Amino acid sequence: MKVTLNWLKQYVDFNWSPEELAERLTMLGLEVEGVQKLGGEFAGVVVGQVLTKEKVAGSDKLSVNRVADGTGERTIICGAQNHQPGDKVAVILPNFALPLKAGEKEPFVIKERKVFGVVSQGMMCSNKELGLGEEGDGVIILPPDAKVGQPFAEHLGRAGSDVVYDLEVTPNRPDLNSVIGIAREIAALTGNALRVPNCSGAVSAPTAVTDRRYSIEEFVAVRLDEPELCPRYTVRVLTGVKVGPSPDWLRQTLEKVGIRSISNVVDVTNFVMLETGQPLHAFDYHLIGKGADGKPTIVIRRAAAGEKFKALDNQERTLTSDMLLIADEQKGIALAGVMGGANTEIRDDTRDVLIESAYFAPTNIRRTGKALGLRSESSYRFERGCDVGIADYASQRAAQLILETAGGTLVFGAVDAYPKPDELKVISLRHEKTGALLGVEIPGDKQVQMLQSLGLEFHAQIGHDDRGAVVTSFRIPTFRVDLKREVDLIEEIARLHGVDKIPSTTPRGAVGMNAFDAVYDQLADVRRLLTGLGLNEAQGQTLVSLANCRLPQAEVVKLANPLSADMDALRPSLMPGLLDTLRHNLHRKNQDVALFEIGRVFTNVNGQPKEERRVAIALTGQRALAFWSGDDREAKFDAMDLKGLVEDLLEHFGLRGIMFGKRAEPTPLFLESAAIMLGGKVQLGELGQLLPALAKQYDLRDAVFLAELRLDELLARGNRSKSFKPLPQFPASRRDVAMLVPEATTHDAVLQAIKQAKPANLESVELFDVFRGRNVPAGQKSLAYAFTYRAADKTLTDNDVNAAHTKAVDALKQKLSATVRE
Amino acid sequence: MSLLAQLDPLKAEALAALAAAADLPALEQTKGAFLGGDGKFTALMKQLGTLPKEERPAAGKAINAAKSELETALAVRRSELELKAALPKEPTDWTLPGRRRAVGKLHPLTQVTDDIVRAFRKVGFAVADGPEIEDEYHCFDALNTPADHPARDAQDTFYVAQDSGSPLSTKNSQLLRTHTSSVQIRVMKSQPPPIRIIVPGRVYRRDNADATHNPTFHQIEGLYVDKHVTVSDLKGTVEAVFKDVLGSDVKLRFRPHYFSYTEPSLEIDFTNALVKKLGKDWLEIAGCGMVHPQVFENVGYDPEVWTGWAFGFGIERIAMLRYGITDIRLFYENDVRFLRQF
Repeated sequence: MKVTLNWLKQYVDFNWSPEELAERLTMLGLEVEGVQKLGGEFAGVVVGQVLTKEKVAGSDKLSVNRVADGTGERTIICGAQNHQPGDKVAVILPNFALPLKAGEKEPFVIKERKVFGVVSQGMMCSNKELGLGEEGDGVIILPPDAKVGQPFAEHLGRAGSDVVYDLEVTPNRPDLNSVIGIAREIAALTGNALRVPNCSGAVSAPTAVTDRRYSIEEFVAVRLDEPELCPRYTVRVLTGVKVGPSPDWLRQTLEKVGIRSISNVVDVTNFVMLETGQPLHAFDYHLIGKGADGKPTIVIRRAAAGEKFKALDNQERTLTSDMLLIADEQKGIALAGVMGGANTEIRDDTRDVLIESAYFAPTNIRRTGKALGLRSESSYRFERGCDVGIADYASQRAAQLILETAGGTLVFGAVDAYPKPDELKVISLRHEKTGALLGVEIPGDKQVQMLQSLGLEFHAQIGHDDRGAVVTSFRIPTFRVDLKREVDLIEEIARLHGVDKIPSTTPRGAVGMNAFDAVYDQLADVRRLLTGLGLNEAQGQTLVSLANCRLPQAEVVKLANPLSADMDALRPSLMPGLLDTLRHNLHRKNQDVALFEIGRVFTNVNGQPKEERRVAIALTGQRALAFWSGDDREAKFDAMDLKGLVEDLLEHFGLRGIMFGKRAEPTPLFLESAAIMLGGKVQLGELGQLLPALAKQYDLRDAVFLAELRLDELLARGNRSKSFKPLPQFPASRRDVAMLVPEATTHDAVLQAIKQAKPANLESVELFDVFRGRNVPAGQKSLAYAFTYRAADKTLTDNDVNAAHTKAVDALKQKLSATVRE
Repeated sequence: MSLLAQLDPLKAEALAALAAAADLPALEQTKGAFLGGDGKFTALMKQLGTLPKEERPAAGKAINAAKSELETALAVRRSELELKAALPKEPTDWTLPGRRRAVGKLHPLTQVTDDIVRAFRKVGFAVADGPEIEDEYHCFDALNTPADHPARDAQDTFYVAQDSGSPLSTKNSQLLRTHTSSVQIRVMKSQPPPIRIIVPGRVYRRDNADATHNPTFHQIEGLYVDKHVTVSDLKGTVEAVFKDVLGSDVKLRFRPHYFSYTEPSLEIDFTNALVKKLGKDWLEIAGCGMVHPQVFENVGYDPEVWTGWAFGFGIERIAMLRYGITDIRLFYENDVRFLRQF
């Protein structure tokens, strides 16, 4: 909503500077989003009249002039020759600046100064000096009818100085989409009276009041078919108006707030809408079809399904029966509350005008506007809720201003179809409740006064509630549709009191409890672990493309109204997003990337979207940071880097019995991969190497390793309790075993074979070498293990250890057909 | 030549030889040549017995002193040469870049979220959580924002496609939450007052991505419900937390606003040296207000007994201000050069 300083001042007095007004409105809840200063052109320049002109002694060119400036006379020395006594001229007064010219850094300020012994008190200006044109014959000679003393800008018909405020009106306050509404807030804040224009004179004393032929009933009837959708519909008629350009004040007022001037009649309807908040519509009376009785009947009805209607924007639209139409007995003439019809619009030759001022139900207007994709200043107001009580006043005000600006005669009376006027709402306020909610005590009588200043009507002193608090009730004016219960009144008091004046108190009160609180810390622990392991944390988009999900459609949660096909599904996994991130980095020459992400993923389970938290890891490029020495400094990430990270993560959760189940075949994502299983049943996640074809699709050159684990499962099943184990008291004995086994024999199979042999006092078995090549037959590999034996209660003898170790080695030979290299 | 006359030159010769030994083997050789069984010094000591009896004590004393001096010199030279031997072949250039281990960084949004959470936890808040796929009831209706409410228009919402076809017509459609406020409802419905929670999380708006918008972004929500909670409490706590998060020179301004689920509703502007540097007086940072009694009624709390306040703000905005980031999309691109900066 735009409003200007001068416009507001017509309704309420205040002495604030333009900046202070912006601050006050903002602190009242009407945020000022923009302030634009207008005019201020030709400050200090007024229309003057030359009274006398004499030669200056000692100069050929200069003259000394007596000039009237509207407040008195002054002496001006002038070098121009083209003026005569009696001429009207533009005079700039001392201490005002001429407009800045191109190339000037500072404007030229006129000072009183002595010339040839005479004090010159200002200057008569030329066109060039005022920036109005090229150098002419001398000073500007104004027409004889120019008013002496009038500001020059005003004489030129240019807007005087003003300030335009762009206000953010919150959707709960439709009453503030009007200048009077805003002025009312200022009135409440200052305690000054609100001046609402009185237009009863214009409507109660029509020129032809006694002539029944000029009574409204002779001109129009209204048939209200849909009182639910249109609780009130009023009509006035003016005859003999002369449509033409608006007077300057009207045109300028509208243009300052960004509304194009169209014609006096249309401009008045717009002006009154901005002034009162009530949208109006003006029809050409003669274009409305007449009935058998020789006069039109305005019908407020639902459109027929499929009914066509061409609005003022000249587009034909097809309506539905949900839409409210203003019609004559043959055709639609306006889309109620949204836009008038092209068939009845005001034209240059319109003589008789019908003014509609109505109240339409917000929801219906909103739906109609949405369905047709058609919005207007009018629908904007109706859908937020207009003031049902103001319809007739706004119509009177429009009639008054049309008479002023376009002439004509107002037909006596108005049709006001308002079958069920609502009773004013009454809300009661416990004065004590205000302080209890705001934290500041405001005396009861002060509270009452504040609410009254906003236009609420004191209804009754109800007395005391059951706790002895004073209770007062108020009648709520129709323009305050937002006031519904006690707390709404308290907010009004808070606004007027000033939220900045409510004291701040130090934090106090209950200690919060929530089951998630501990989970938040557990997530932080996981992040700390993974960053400690050298991974950067990523945060990817939740919205991804369905094509990148690589899942059956039914399992993906899709958006009903996506913005684009790039983002039409919710990520079912963190991995597609990490691949996007890798690509983004590769495109920017960041070839070595090690990332993790923790976030939610979404899948359809039995037709219902299900979300769960996951953690994913992506590795590509070089394993180590750049360094200037070392044979393996350029080594790339491999599957065991990924496996190691996953092992650290699983160890963090204290999970036992994890199996890595190798998948026999490539998957849609992975070349080689394994499922991470807990207890053989629960899949905790998967890890593997990205399919080369897919890597290529993402422009990734090096091998890419990805893992994803179900974090909620890890959190639920993990065991992070720790208990101390005494440090060993007796020395350990180590035995190493190197053996050849078939390529297919897994590390896990080795461990199982040893475990089943149950060698006594075996503390640990550690793999320390895997070798293929020289001296190892094809299809085999050499594995080397370190066995550590230790007893808790004694130092083991060689014999003890050898006996146990032989058992283990025999098991390897027998179960795995291992060739042990002694 | 008398024995004693030989002593001094021999000592001087031995000391010189020890000093001249270039490495440990040479030193051992020198030691043998003088102090070994066949060494010159040992030979001299053997001559002691040939002296007259009365001269022996003095000569013995002199020889012992010389021997002790030589042994000390040997030990000093040995440790010098041992040190020399321990030095690497090429001296270390301490200006070389060291071998760094990769250390990962937390995402800047995580860091800012953690800081905010820490500040609220100091004053007794617990972290709570809720689903990102919400329904209209928790996201709007229960928050006093009915279907035709104008406020619902401002938040353009992503809806989840339903299997049964017409997605938007069904009652209580599933949607991506537009604010973390939906968690207020879930928490109040699941636990009795008092409540003191904060809720960081992802939210979604149907905005095309540009420098200041991403369809996905993060918010943090706070809710405090107790007896006798007032606007003063709200102001005091929010001020304390923002000073903690944004620095103690920050100034806050509360001004009336409108949210359907709070009454009175306030917006919070802040200012500090940074804001002034941006050429502004105030920057909008958060919305807040006293929980609307209708919301309490919706979750089954008695608004006559309980009052409370709630606030919410965007985490990206705080992070952008803190680090001087001008494009929100950087947060979601995860360029490692970006991530490593925080």
